[in-house]
Amino acid sequence: MAVPTRLDKFVKTEKQRHFPKDFMTGWEEYETWADATVGQSGPAQRTFVITEEDILDYNKACGETDPLMIDPDYARKNSPTGELLQHPIFVTTIAFYSLGEKGIGTWIRTPGARNPQQRIEIIEPFKYGEVVTTTVTTSQKFVQRGKPYLQMLLDFHNEKGVLKARWWCSLILPETQADVARFANA
Amino acid sequence: MSNPTFSKIETGYAFPSVAQSYAQSAIDHYALASLDMNPVHTNEEWAARAQVFGMPVTVGHGMMTMSTLASVVTRAWGVIGKNGGSIRYVDSKFTKPVKVGETVTATAKVKQKHFHGPGKNWVQVLVEGKDSTGDLIGFAEVGYNLPD
Repeated sequence: MAVPTRLDKFVKTEKQRHFPKDFMTGWEEYETWADATVGQSGPAQRTFVITEEDILDYNKACGETDPLMIDPDYARKNSPTGELLQHPIFVTTIAFYSLGEKGIGTWIRTPGARNPQQRIEIIEPFKYGEVVTTTVTTSQKFVQRGKPYLQMLLDFHNEKGVLKARWWCSLILPETQADVARFANA
Repeated sequence: MSNPTFSKIETGYAFPSVAQSYAQSAIDHYALASLDMNPVHTNEEWAARAQVFGMPVTVGHGMMTMSTLASVVTRAWGVIGKNGGSIRYVDSKFTKPVKVGETVTATAKVKQKHFHGPGKNWVQVLVEGKDSTGDLIGFAEVGYNLPD
């Protein structure tokens, strides 16, 4: 699927330059609601190295204006961490980058998915240079009012094994690969 | 950002509201920043054909809405406050898709004080987001650690 060229002007970071922007590429490989098994657990496909530019762009996209969040020089001198403060929902970027295109949790990229609810817990701020490993555990699978819900718990640890954040990620999904195909081929 | 102390804050305290544009350019920026490139947010033609939400237009990311809701608290008190204090969780539900071109206005009040002892006290803040028609598009509970 062609990606609108107007998006090019928003590419600012190294990860954005290399990340596959065609959402439909490889959808046949994604885990589906029908395939998911509660209790199954495993690492995401990629690790995520925290950089200043990742945090800066997320903060700006959220409309933040606090210099502690959008001015790296100011943050170096004035922030309690000596770094840009990160928006609490920044783990979204870590998850979408890390989950990749194959394996457990790839259903986060399902065409036709709807977002009903999310819970994110912040244990401590990420630091520049940390290498974040995301562990995925399928935590709930149910049908409510005829809609198939799937939930996974994403645990974000740094390279020393310190738990930094947790995300209970829920989506309402097309149930089977055939259902996904209707959206992927729309 | 300075924040109040746990002993001084009262339930019902109202935060300054936050307004966030969901113009297509804002949604596009969020798509790249979050790496969530779902065409329901960025591709008008696909969104019109697929009608994931029963409407032929792009919509904002749910995680963008969650970010707007959380920002009501962090813009007032800081992600990490000058006096100490920090955000501990955001728990959100989405009740209506945010159509492209909308402006979301989010308001918040302190709902509960949680007494866990010196250095461990926190408050629960209830945040609501509404679109330009006044419809509720989502709400969130935000937990925030406050200095004693």
